[in-house]
Amino acid sequence: MNRERFIRKRRQDWQHFEQLLNRLKARRLGRWSGGDITRLASLYRSICYDLSLVQSREWGARLEQYLNDLVAQGHNCLYRSPPRSLDTVLSFLAGGFPEVLRKRKHFFFVSLALFLVPFLISMIVGIIDPVLAERLVDKAQMEGAGESCSKEFYKRMDVEFAEQRSMMAGFYVWNNVGIAFRCFALGAFCGVGTVVTLLFNGIALGAITGYLVNQGRADNFFSFAISHGSFELTAIVVAGAAGLVLGWGMIHPGELSRRESLRVHGIDSVKLALGAGFMLGIAALIEAYFSPMPIPHTVKYLVGTLLWCLVYIYLTFGGETAPRSLMTLPEESGADG
Amino acid sequence: MVTGDQKIDTRITVETPEGVDFRFMLAGPGKRCVSYAIDAVLKLAVMLVSLILVGVSTGLSGSRGDVTAGVMLVVWFAMSWLYGACCEGWLNGRTPGKISQGLRVVRTNGTPIGWFEAFGRNLLLVPDGFMVYGPLALNTVALISMASTLRMQRLGDLVFDTMVIDESREFISRAPGITLGIDALPRSECSGRYHVPERTLAVIERLFEGDRLISDGRREEIARSLSLALRRRLGYEEPAPDPTNPNTYFAQAPRKHTLFLRRVLKTFAEDGGGDSDDAPQTRTLRTARSPRKQREQRDRVSLDDLTRSDATPSMVAGDRSGSAESEWST
Repeated sequence: MNRERFIRKRRQDWQHFEQLLNRLKARRLGRWSGGDITRLASLYRSICYDLSLVQSREWGARLEQYLNDLVAQGHNCLYRSPPRSLDTVLSFLAGGFPEVLRKRKHFFFVSLALFLVPFLISMIVGIIDPVLAERLVDKAQMEGAGESCSKEFYKRMDVEFAEQRSMMAGFYVWNNVGIAFRCFALGAFCGVGTVVTLLFNGIALGAITGYLVNQGRADNFFSFAISHGSFELTAIVVAGAAGLVLGWGMIHPGELSRRESLRVHGIDSVKLALGAGFMLGIAALIEAYFSPMPIPHTVKYLVGTLLWCLVYIYLTFGGETAPRSLMTLPEESGADG
Repeated sequence: MVTGDQKIDTRITVETPEGVDFRFMLAGPGKRCVSYAIDAVLKLAVMLVSLILVGVSTGLSGSRGDVTAGVMLVVWFAMSWLYGACCEGWLNGRTPGKISQGLRVVRTNGTPIGWFEAFGRNLLLVPDGFMVYGPLALNTVALISMASTLRMQRLGDLVFDTMVIDESREFISRAPGITLGIDALPRSECSGRYHVPERTLAVIERLFEGDRLISDGRREEIARSLSLALRRRLGYEEPAPDPTNPNTYFAQAPRKHTLFLRRVLKTFAEDGGGDSDDAPQTRTLRTARSPRKQREQRDRVSLDDLTRSDATPSMVAGDRSGSAESEWST
């Protein structure tokens, strides 16, 4: 077959393919009819063949370019990421995220240590010597924290705080989730950025806590922080774990090539980061609407403890569909038979 | 996959599951910066519009100002962290800025990205945007990373194994400089029915690409043999000097073979480029005869004829990358 005959013979298919592409591109994936898809796929395959024919016979750069474009468009049309629905999001948050976290639990514990150890140390420092604590954290910030936990403030809280709740909710989302995402993303510097962020956050929070305890405002502060702290503190550690996974993938590829390792660790780390963002969203709602409610501290402690249990259950058991013994038994017998 | 000899330009060859190689054009920092800027402006616009909308609606419904502030903070958060990821997730690897520049994010194996990649690479804009010299050097890390990787990937691309490709179907028209101000061959000057094949046109092009390397005289020498062969095929007869302005003829005579090749290029290669009209129905030289006779003509004189002819075998038959070039550069 020579070039012109080839073009004459095939061009109808090419035009047809182009029309089909244009028609389908304008439509959502869900509305494609079965016939269209079959037709598109078979045309795509035949055009792939045409392209390799033209390439091997060197039938002209422009013809090759044209077919190459057709193939590229068809490729993008056919091989696309599966459509995601709300259902996938929910199942990821309910099951996928805790599962990944469990898979990467070592990173979680390292991240926890990086956060908790400086937290405890600077808290103890703050309790013993608040002057030293003032050096660790910005003084104005510390006094602001002290004031917001003072007795007088608690009295007028229902009046004043109530007016700001929605704004504070927005602020917590913007600020906290932003911090968590940044903490994760800085893991791209071989994990160093994440470690630094975790340490600094631990020191700052610890110093403020210690200072408040020293000032005798522990009850006010803890009753305020316990409920949303469940989600918030855990999420910070999770975000740290995400950054560490990312950094680890860079530093220590193990048996994989570095590129491969980055991909494997990268996907897991972004799952963790998204989960952390989700948890911080919940924390923001609790912090804005529930934590400052003028109710007895006992109730807050109770609810807070329940929330901590909830977080624990969520992360430990989320995504496990059934007891393992029941799941694996039939599979094993099937494999044997 | 990438092999050594492809590193010279911005094309990346990807093998599809169908066993076909096809090329993607990588998008460089320039276009990506433009699309980034467009997205930034768009984000700002969305925030302004939502500020107005939220402000007006909360004002009308008589609720307090803190709702406006809260909603705006959430919008700000969404614009700074979720915008790129959600756009790329929904629009199959594109954001409005990328659409305007014809860019798309794909995996390095050519398949479209998923949601996790979209989120990941957008979250990693933080280290990519890391400034080394304060406000002066924006996106320094990204630029360094793009400059030092084969696929021009920034950190976020590297980690999530994605690349940004340029999809705008840009057909590099045939040798725009070479045929500038050159007339096509008119029907009256040619008696033959020969269609110059694509491969020969490519050879002619390469002859002129080498501008820097060979002198005009040498090029004329090289062009001569090919030109003579083509003249024979085309039945081209040099017109006599134009009596009204003989100067042009004598000025062009010393370079007449290169000029002829340019005219051939102009005649056979410039047809708007690219679409399936690549099939030579619309060209200057083939208008008069019936389709059937055309076909006969075309089939009789095929590509192989020229390849076998004695005219400059190294140029015509040599493959398009190697032998021909080495001869010209001497």
